[in-house]
Amino acid sequence: MQSRDKYRIALLSAYALALHGFESLVPMPIPWLRVGLANIITLTTLILFGFRAAMMVTLVRVTLASLFIGSFLGPGFILSMGGGVLGTIAMGMVLSLLPRIFGPVGLSLIGAFFHNLAQLVLAYALFIQRTEPVIIIAPILLLIGTVTGLVNGLVSDLLIKNLKKGEESLQNSVS
Amino acid sequence: MSFRETVKATTSGDRALLVFLVLISFAGIFAVKEALSHANEVSIEVDGRVKFRYPLDIDRSVRVEGDHGGLTVEIKDRQVRVTEASCPKKICERQGWITRGGIVCLPNRISVIVGGPEKNDGRRLDAVTG
Repeated sequence: MQSRDKYRIALLSAYALALHGFESLVPMPIPWLRVGLANIITLTTLILFGFRAAMMVTLVRVTLASLFIGSFLGPGFILSMGGGVLGTIAMGMVLSLLPRIFGPVGLSLIGAFFHNLAQLVLAYALFIQRTEPVIIIAPILLLIGTVTGLVNGLVSDLLIKNLKKGEESLQNSVS
Repeated sequence: MSFRETVKATTSGDRALLVFLVLISFAGIFAVKEALSHANEVSIEVDGRVKFRYPLDIDRSVRVEGDHGGLTVEIKDRQVRVTEASCPKKICERQGWITRGGIVCLPNRISVIVGGPEKNDGRRLDAVTG
């Protein structure tokens, strides 16, 4: 890994961490409901710098955020780690296997879907162990995830295009 | 790059996926609603008053005291039966496993009813005497 990549990953992780931390401060009608703003950074990293960088950013973000909030190795940490990792893997796989079909919005929807899927499975296996509440909550979670995934995808798209533009103008001014 | 341009830049795959997910989640919500209106709860009434409510999907057995010594209600695999009734004829015991409706033990004045919220399982009474 080049030092430039390390620098990028550190910077992007810091952005993701800031969004994650900010989000945990915003009160929500349901306590575990999250918009998943940090996924904007994960998705942007994935598209601009590849899967390994995106996974790195996710791991750094989830670990550090849980240390800051104080939920390291707790149930919230396990859920957000599982969701983050599976979401990133799903987005990475779709991007490399079917690169033309989905843009950032589609990838974000897929990421949100697998994020929720992982959290449901983990919550069921580790904490709830009753089928009924999981089945009741699954479609509601799916709907919320689709809406937040859509918003995050649009923001990522905007961010990616502006970053590319910024990078071009930066390179032009340097050279 | 404006927001409107970003929306226009979505691929047809993106849009199809969005529509698909929204449809699936609404279908899921309606399916769950439908499933929930079916029997999911066992309520045990003594003397016409609900004494216990148990979810149908957790196996257990409960002793219920009544006027005639009481009986035991067993919940297993989403089925319900009465065992060890202390009444003389043991009609309730002989009814065996049920998945819907109810078991009544008249001497004990106990009824075991499988049903969700009262309004939707057709339990409205025609008349009450006595």
